[in-house]
Amino acid sequence: MSLTEQAKRLANRLLSPLHAKDGALTRELLLESGPYGIGFVPAEKKPDSITRSICGYCSTGCSLNVHTRDGTAVGVTPTTDYSVNLGMACPKGWEALEVLQSPDRAVQPLLRDGLGKLRAVEWDRALRTFVDRMKGIQAEHGNESIAFLSTGQIATEEMALLGALAKFGMGMKHGDGNTRQCMATAVEAYKQSFGFDAPPFTYDDFEQSDCIVLVGSNLCIAHPIMWERVMRNRHQPQIIAIDPRMTETAMQATQHLPVASKSDLVLMYGLARILIERGWIANDFIDAHTAQFDAFSRYVAQYDLERVAKETGIGAKEIERLAATIHASERVSFWWTMGVNQSHQGVRTAQAIINLSLMTGNIGRPGTGANSITGQCNAMGSRLYSNTTNLLGGHDFADLDHREKVASILEFDESLIPMDAGWPYHRIMEGILRKEIRGLWIVGTNPAHSWINQSVSADILDRLDFLVVQDMYASTETASRADLVLPAAGWGEKEGTFINSERRIGTIRKVSRAPGEALADFSIFRLIADYWGCGDMFKKWRSPERVFQIIKRLSAGQPSDFTGIEDYAALDEAGGIQWPFASDAQDASGERRLFADGNFFHPDGKAKFVWEDPRPLPEPVSAKYPFQLNTGRGSAAQWHTQTRTSKSAVLRKLYTAEPYLEINPSDATALGIHPGERVLLSSQRGRAAVTAFLTRSVKPGEVFIAMHYGVTNVLTHPTYDRYSNQPAYKACAVRVDKAVS
Amino acid sequence: MNNLPSLPIIANPRDCHAPERGNASGPSFITQLLTEQQELTAVEKFAHAEQCSESPAQAKYYRKLMPTSPPAAGEQYAFDVDLDRCSGCKACVTACHSLNGLDEEETWRDVGLMIGGTSQAPAIQHVTAACHHCLEPACMSACPVNAYEKDPVTGIVKHLDDQCFGCKYCTLACPYEVPKYHQDNCIVRKCDMCSTRLLAGEAPACVQACPHEAIRIQVVETSLVKENAEADPFLPAAPDPQITLPTTSYRTARAFPRNMLPADYYSVSPQEPHWPLIIMLVLTQLSVGAFIAGLTIEFALPTELWIELRHVHAIAGLVAGLLALSASVFHLGRPQYAFRAVLGLRHSWLSREIVAFGAFAALAIVYAVSVFVLGGDDGHHSATLNALAWSVAIAGMAGVLCSCMIYIFTRRDSWSPLQTTFKFLMTTAVLGVASFWLSVLLTAGVFGGEEIEEIAERLGHQYAQLLILVSASKLVWEASAFRFLLDRKMTSLRRSALLMTRQLSNITMMRFAAGLLGGVIMPAMLLGSSMKAGGETSLDFLVAAMLLVIACIVGELFERYLYFAAAASPRMPGGVR
Repeated sequence: MSLTEQAKRLANRLLSPLHAKDGALTRELLLESGPYGIGFVPAEKKPDSITRSICGYCSTGCSLNVHTRDGTAVGVTPTTDYSVNLGMACPKGWEALEVLQSPDRAVQPLLRDGLGKLRAVEWDRALRTFVDRMKGIQAEHGNESIAFLSTGQIATEEMALLGALAKFGMGMKHGDGNTRQCMATAVEAYKQSFGFDAPPFTYDDFEQSDCIVLVGSNLCIAHPIMWERVMRNRHQPQIIAIDPRMTETAMQATQHLPVASKSDLVLMYGLARILIERGWIANDFIDAHTAQFDAFSRYVAQYDLERVAKETGIGAKEIERLAATIHASERVSFWWTMGVNQSHQGVRTAQAIINLSLMTGNIGRPGTGANSITGQCNAMGSRLYSNTTNLLGGHDFADLDHREKVASILEFDESLIPMDAGWPYHRIMEGILRKEIRGLWIVGTNPAHSWINQSVSADILDRLDFLVVQDMYASTETASRADLVLPAAGWGEKEGTFINSERRIGTIRKVSRAPGEALADFSIFRLIADYWGCGDMFKKWRSPERVFQIIKRLSAGQPSDFTGIEDYAALDEAGGIQWPFASDAQDASGERRLFADGNFFHPDGKAKFVWEDPRPLPEPVSAKYPFQLNTGRGSAAQWHTQTRTSKSAVLRKLYTAEPYLEINPSDATALGIHPGERVLLSSQRGRAAVTAFLTRSVKPGEVFIAMHYGVTNVLTHPTYDRYSNQPAYKACAVRVDKAVS
Repeated sequence: MNNLPSLPIIANPRDCHAPERGNASGPSFITQLLTEQQELTAVEKFAHAEQCSESPAQAKYYRKLMPTSPPAAGEQYAFDVDLDRCSGCKACVTACHSLNGLDEEETWRDVGLMIGGTSQAPAIQHVTAACHHCLEPACMSACPVNAYEKDPVTGIVKHLDDQCFGCKYCTLACPYEVPKYHQDNCIVRKCDMCSTRLLAGEAPACVQACPHEAIRIQVVETSLVKENAEADPFLPAAPDPQITLPTTSYRTARAFPRNMLPADYYSVSPQEPHWPLIIMLVLTQLSVGAFIAGLTIEFALPTELWIELRHVHAIAGLVAGLLALSASVFHLGRPQYAFRAVLGLRHSWLSREIVAFGAFAALAIVYAVSVFVLGGDDGHHSATLNALAWSVAIAGMAGVLCSCMIYIFTRRDSWSPLQTTFKFLMTTAVLGVASFWLSVLLTAGVFGGEEIEEIAERLGHQYAQLLILVSASKLVWEASAFRFLLDRKMTSLRRSALLMTRQLSNITMMRFAAGLLGGVIMPAMLLGSSMKAGGETSLDFLVAAMLLVIACIVGELFERYLYFAAAASPRMPGGVR
């Protein structure tokens, strides 16, 4: 230390009672340069080591550096060199650890006692009760009378174990996941069009496109890190937002088409007609790689501009402009999210988008594709390995070869495999109502809040003879209805792999101790197998990484083949690996897309054009219910039913605490509603008191409410896409009244 | 939750999968899995050379968001926000929170929303904002203890946490609600543009973390900041940049529609009332008022009577003064550092207020002692005592005027010079007259004595009339604030009026009820009765007078509550509320 510095220090010290420039309070916020190039971090949270983990919220699949000190996580920062998020994270990722420390974490099994109260019990008793009750129900009402509802929020290995245990070990036939609420439509659309559920894109396509068409997708808020990639596009792309609302994304778009609710299907057909009529199509590609184009071409002839303009509410000029933009762009990518998936005609709408990309040859090249953006962190894992709609590994329950292959890899008797997929979510709910299902095991999801037409679904859950809820939090709307609550460890407290929207497999790490007696879902499944008496079947399923090896073998020969991935360490080294990655694959790095060779997964190698007449809105507005209600993401700081995001004080500051209704000022004025006033929102199914937010981002006649609020699904109308069975959350008729105070 | 024994960590990444033990079953299997659950196995170090290098890995993303050279003379660092890139994800808020180690609910950056346009072309715009590192930071001028420093080179406005004594004045002075009070530490904290990071060439947390590169650090010319503030291009409905000359630039290639307004524009919510400040202001004004009321009596009374009263006057003034002074300490988060308040004398009205009231109390003590030591009978020391008394009064008035300036300085409409000065001086008058009257009555009632009774009797009517006059004028003045309800525009004065009629209507009602009762109705009743009943001092009369004073004080406390809680002011755009 130099002399002048010493003199300065001395002077500071002498002056400190009068003018303190340093001291305990200042040091509280001291920053120190951290190791491994993470830059400055709070001195108190300076890590001694760093590990990486894929974020556990959405399907973007960002990598987070988990800072650890003495082995325990003390902080997270986004991973700089991960190809998905390029050093960035959204608020949920930044706060990923915070939500683990919550007083309402489930720390012990809870069993409802004779007085109807949930009381803490030993694991042994909880498991014995589970087995006794479930087996009791099966003995009385048949094996199929118990079912499970799972989630897109747990690791693939856990999904596989749950699916195998429930269907092969416990004899359940019916099981589904909350992915039914977000991805089922995309799955079905891809299967029918491409021959396999295969989102073809890689995130680099956002950067390579010169025309990005977003349908029912508010990327800015729902997938901020994918929007990051759009913002890094150096080709000055045309950005087209097709969304009834002026969303953040629509605001940034070069063209916004505020279509009438669910008229996007008609718009796509209309665009197809213009493109065909003007010869703006890729004839060579169509001939070589697609089927049924001619019939499609004849079909869309009826969607003349006048009709399309009338049904969509979009001016003829705008529609033509969009068609011209698609034609003029070298690399057009089409992206859709919940606006399409959560619709009564979602599968056909998704396929209408796929059709556009096929007919213009915008697939298989950088910056193109008909791309479904997934919802949950492991929805893609669930699509392949939940053993619900597909037999483990994207196989078919009914296919004899598939059954044989799965049975032999798992060393089970083939007869244990049911002959079909079992019921989808809404049919399971209906089954409860009809007393066909009497015992239900819910894992990591909150249907009492999230399922459509909430009042009825809550009532349905209450009709069960035995409801088991396995969750991180004992406070969810569903857990509070359970007969038995099993305390689960959360993200950060266990390991496994996730698969993101672009088919990238990445690992999650155990960096934090689970509270109390909470156990990883994987461990809970193993215990249940043991107590059920089928533990021997799962002898080899001893750790997530062992299961990874099993499911890897199951992928062999499938479009989703990833037999080339050695183990978790290889995944980490490569920065995640996208499927397909067969054992003879060379290139583990970078970003890979499907269909570069024009070969699709149907037996003839061709993609199919699929179409159908649009269906009318299941619940059109009426004199009594004159407003169209749309629902969707509220903010980037909120996730689903908020069981996690509401546990971070900072995230709570970033969203509006009380439910609010977006309503156009002209409608509000007509109803005498002032800004910020309490209003009563009602549908045929229920009512909710909410605050009016007057904004022109919703059109006159339409209103919007975020899905995270408990009241939202009191209003929604239970209709489902007929092919995907996904609920149509985004369109029902409501009325708005001034609240009588 | 964390009282479990810490378990060994397996550091080799190849051993990351759970250790596999034999095939347990039943309860022992549970025990095994519970044990495994507590073993953290994930720690692995990535030892790539470039990641161990000196420069942070993120630098490759944010390098272009940083200025190429440090500010020259006449320049400083500033935030630059490209609104066209801000999509409202709010990652900046969480990154700032996390990378700066802030407390659970503490945030130094906020993101608001603006909406407008037509139904055909609606507009929404999120706005991220932190400290604007103003050219003339109001927080710094306001701070009585010099806990703010503006770096002469970088222009960063830095808060010295250990110097702060938690008076919260900066939280009122800053038009952008930037300094935030930290409840546990009893001090204020705020954004310092991550000066530690900047010094090392690293980008501030928010700049590093914005996925869309919407925030950058730039070097601005201070003269340009002034010109910009002159032209007022800051943000719709945001505070006038003339107040502090904020340096943040908000850029957009789009033109905002004319009706662009914050999403929370129409929401009005009560502000923090600051109870210690309410009590302190009311009591200091009472004591100064009482002292001056007593002093001015001198002109109305024959000398011998006045001398008689002097003891009462001296004691009453002193007691109230000391009470106020002790109340003032309560509004400090760390009162043990109250002495530091002298540091800001050159610029802070709060320092000046503290010094003025300190002088007032000290002089009042000297005066009280002198009155008792020198006596009043012979009038020999009259000149000295008079001079002393007047200096007490002047110090007190100076204190009250400093109090006014504290709030006038913030330039809030509802704290305008006229509003504030009128209210504070009239409180001084109302409570001064009422409480001095009471002290005379009490002296007469308790000690008796012809002279004092004569004074009480003689002055009673005048006091009552005077009290009615000042109270009524004050109440009428305050009630006139409701005229702003008729404003077409949502002015801050209209917001205040709305608050008083909505969320704060109960307080408003109590304010006017207490004011009318103590300042008009009761004095009017006392006007019609005599304090003497059958030769004896009437106890009822005394009790009534006491209640009158209490009602007046309660009324003024509520008035001051509204002064704080209904003080709506322009702010940065907020979210949907």
